[in-house]
Amino acid sequence: MSTGWHADPVVLSRYAAEELDDVRASSLEAHLLTCDRCRDALAPLTDAPKLGAIWHAIETALDAPQPGIVERAMQRLGVPEHVCRLLSATPSLRVSWLLAEAFALGMAAIAANQATGTGLAGATLFLFLVTAALAPVAGVAAAFGPGVDPTYEVGLAAPMRSDRLLFIRASAVLGASLAIAGVAALALPGTGWTLALWLLPALGLTLATLAVATWVRPVWAALGVGVGWVVLAAATAVAITEPLIVFHVWGQLLSLGLIVASAAVIAHRRAAYEGRIPA
Amino acid sequence: MTVRADGDDALVAAVATGDREALAELYRRHAPWLVLRLSRRCADPGTVEEVVQDTFVAVWKGAGRFRADGEVPAWIWGIGVRRLISRLRSRPMAPTDARAEEVMVSAEDEVLVGVEHGDLGQALGRLSPELRAVVQATVLDGLTTREAATLLGIPQGTVKTRSARARRELREALA
Repeated sequence: MSTGWHADPVVLSRYAAEELDDVRASSLEAHLLTCDRCRDALAPLTDAPKLGAIWHAIETALDAPQPGIVERAMQRLGVPEHVCRLLSATPSLRVSWLLAEAFALGMAAIAANQATGTGLAGATLFLFLVTAALAPVAGVAAAFGPGVDPTYEVGLAAPMRSDRLLFIRASAVLGASLAIAGVAALALPGTGWTLALWLLPALGLTLATLAVATWVRPVWAALGVGVGWVVLAAATAVAITEPLIVFHVWGQLLSLGLIVASAAVIAHRRAAYEGRIPA
Repeated sequence: MTVRADGDDALVAAVATGDREALAELYRRHAPWLVLRLSRRCADPGTVEEVVQDTFVAVWKGAGRFRADGEVPAWIWGIGVRRLISRLRSRPMAPTDARAEEVMVSAEDEVLVGVEHGDLGQALGRLSPELRAVVQATVLDGLTTREAATLLGIPQGTVKTRSARARRELREALA
């Protein structure tokens, strides 16, 4: 569209200097949308170094690696960008890890389902519940600390408290693990509370791992807690000849106690995460 | 960057196929006025730079969705002003108060107004700066009430009442 009218050079330079009054500036802006000649006349009057700097920033943005699907989804849900990056760098939040976890728990649940009515029913259910409680422990072990976290040193040097980073990641790992185990539990033969028996032990073991990790590497902490859990579960199951005994009332109460005690230790000793995790 | 003679539509089509040179040419043509136009609506130069950057990154990503029925500059402005508003929404800041200080009107300006604008320009000029800002945001920039409220840093209700008052005053001035 061309009206044949073009802006006066004086008007353009005053507009570029932000000296033009509102009415004429608005009129000029409307004209600029439709007139390439006036746009070209205006261009030399603008801040060239600034435009160059912005273009440089645009090229940098276009060259930057694109965040993955999960990271973009998290950002869309309102999670701050830096938190998304922290989470997506978590080894145990990688798709491969989550798939492996889903596979392990899914198989355990299917086994328990297949064994319904056979002599193995109790044992397979026991296997699933023990594994489901362990899944977040393994995830947390691989979520931070030297050796497993590719961004460990970066994290130490970052202007963010290590305990905060750790809790962000641990919560995400815990959430993902619980979700996977929860879905897998739907394949179990039992109904009602049987499906959720692993929940409190899982929370207790995870917090215990975090608490022990104030003294030793997270991997060792998880290993210790995990072995302790398996030994306890197996020993009580064998001794009392009731596979699920460790998930009964006293087991759940013990888990609650573990949660409270671990939380207290973490609250008291969380400064130890700040680079004092032995390398 | 090399200067290309293609029209804007052709450039956008080329950008859609991943032509970085075409984006550079679009930037060369349209970034200058965009920077100036945004600067008049946001007093913080840093924010304006970020918005211009966002806008051309969005052009790069969204070029495939551009329909040739709209003019390219209007499309770019639409992206830019909405990016500005979402920036202002996430990081509220004092709205530009350039409108509060009235520029002294010289005799030369008066002549220019007479030449370039008819009664409407004068009627607009007689509106108070607050009312004019609302007219500019809603009518000329094509923003919704909500967007205008964010841009100007005033409640939506105020945008509506000022808009109604501006209409009334314009009508009286032009009658």
